[in-house]
Amino acid sequence: MQETGENERYRRQAAVVGEGGQAALARARIVIAGAGGLGSAIALYCAAAGIGQIRIVDCDTVEVSNLNRQILYRTGDVGAEKVTAAAEDLRALNPGVEVEPVRTRITAGSAASLVEGVDLVLDALDNFAARYALAHAAWQRGIPFIHGAVHGLYGQATTIIPGRSPCLRCIVPAPPPDGATPILGVTTGVIGSIQATEAIKCITGRGTLLTGRVLFWDGVRADVEILPIQGDPACPDCGGADR
Amino acid sequence: MSGDGAVTNGTESGITVTVKSFATFREVMETQLVLQLPGGATVQTLLAELTARYSGLGGMLFAAPGRLRDYVNILKNGRNVHFLAGLDTPLDDGDVIALFPPLAGG
Ligand SMILES: [Zn+2]
Repeated sequence: MQETGENERYRRQAAVVGEGGQAALARARIVIAGAGGLGSAIALYCAAAGIGQIRIVDCDTVEVSNLNRQILYRTGDVGAEKVTAAAEDLRALNPGVEVEPVRTRITAGSAASLVEGVDLVLDALDNFAARYALAHAAWQRGIPFIHGAVHGLYGQATTIIPGRSPCLRCIVPAPPPDGATPILGVTTGVIGSIQATEAIKCITGRGTLLTGRVLFWDGVRADVEILPIQGDPACPDCGGADR
Repeated sequence: MSGDGAVTNGTESGITVTVKSFATFREVMETQLVLQLPGGATVQTLLAELTARYSGLGGMLFAAPGRLRDYVNILKNGRNVHFLAGLDTPLDDGDVIALFPPLAGG
């Protein structure tokens, strides 16, 4: 629960989300899947905004080559478990937020338990095998799934709400190759911040979400374009929903 | 053709489509262009035209001649051609075709 002084902490955003919105944030439970570049931006902004319960999932330890983009970590964290270092950082930022670090790999087997009891799933993963598993688990339980991915100076984001948008399989029918993608840290900052914005809007019921639309960020040209995208009418999950 | 009885005056009427590219495809082609194609053109016709124009695009689109890389997304007015007739999907006048490789990093 959030203690005294919390009104002052959120003073500058109260006018944006309202008292009811702030209370909704405090009650919200989210899971951030992946504590890398996207996960860093998402977790820091969600904790700072006062999202009440944050589960953060990753199986890795901090490596020095992570530090160009994974701003949850400091040089002294190299070698530490990511989720442990992340939880410390987030609690220091906002002690009113309950952080649950989970060190595990995201697979079809673990996905169901990872989305258990949350209102929202944030995709900060780096591969589509894990994304499909998690998105499917979220879809089956009716939980919104906020997708983001990056490469170099390019990024994409979309919000998937069961019954109101196409599913992840329909938006990305076949996985692109995995591997160590080139990434400039700021690109994960841009896309992670867009995902955190979607999360806050989803929780507080404000604005228009990126449902049925994919946002493409092009940092080379400082260009944003949003494309409407429909699903497969024969998809067993979403039936091509595009409302 | 549509068989609506329009007089074509002996010449096949052409179509105009808008092509938009995203992400790494922008490293080898323009972000947006308008193309005239012959009536009856398909996605295959369009990609042949684009790969002739932009060297470097062919390898990003195709795994082998005539075989699209399965993760390349081609949307016809927001509908992935994977869910239509793939490369044989017919194009219509005024179509907006979006080309993008999904990104994977995080
Ligand atoms: Zn679907």
